[in-house]
Amino acid sequence: MAAAARQEHIKLALALPARLRTFLARYPHPSILPAGQTPETFKTAYQEDTPNPFLPLRHPVTGRWHEPKYSLRRQAELYKLAREHGVAELLPSTPKSAEERLRKRVEEGLRVKGTGVGQKVKGHKYERQLEAKMEKRRQAMLAMPELIKEWKKVGKRNWTNFPK
Amino acid sequence: MARKAKSRVINVRLLSMAMTGYFYTFTRLRTAQPMSMIKYDPIVRRRVLFLEQKRKGK
Repeated sequence: MAAAARQEHIKLALALPARLRTFLARYPHPSILPAGQTPETFKTAYQEDTPNPFLPLRHPVTGRWHEPKYSLRRQAELYKLAREHGVAELLPSTPKSAEERLRKRVEEGLRVKGTGVGQKVKGHKYERQLEAKMEKRRQAMLAMPELIKEWKKVGKRNWTNFPK
Repeated sequence: MARKAKSRVINVRLLSMAMTGYFYTFTRLRTAQPMSMIKYDPIVRRRVLFLEQKRKGK
C-alpha cells in the first residue's frame, strides 16, 4: 500500500518539468525529505551553501551582502512553473510568492500614495477645503434673512459693518 | 514734485455676504457713502446682501 503510494509520488515527481525537478533535488522542502530525516540531519550541498537561494545572504566572515543564487526573474519563472504544476508550496519563501505579493499589496496599496491600509489620499487643496467652505456658505445662507432684516432696519446710509 | 491728485471717482467691489466670493464692481464718488445692496448671487442662486469691501492699504 505504502509502496504503491510511493510509486505514485515518484511518477508525479517525474512528470514535473526538468527545471523544477532539478531545483527540488537541490533544495528539497522539509516535507519531501527521505523518511526519518529532518532538515537538520539532511542537507544537500546546495542547502549547506545557501539555506534559501531566493534571498540575499550576508557573508558570515566578511559581512558583505551576496546576491540571491536565483535572480528575481528566475525566481518568478520558477514560482510560476511550480504554481502551474501545483507544487508552489514546496519552494522556499520568495518575494515572488502569492502571499508575499498580497502582503506587499496590502502594505503599499496600488503604489498610488495613500491607497494602502490606514492611509489617506491627500487630494487637491480645494478638495480638502471643500467641506469647510460649503459649511461656511451654508451658515451664511441660514443667517441671510436675519442679516437682510437687520440691514433694512439700520438703513444703507447708517450701515457701518463692512467686510475686509 | 507734487503728488498726483486723487481721482474723484473710485471703483469699489461689492462682496456677497453668502461667503461665495462672488462680487460686483461699481464706480462711485470717492466722497459718497460706502455701497450696499441686495443683488443676485449666481453661486447660491438667490438674491443676497452685497456689501462694499473695505479697500486695502488706505
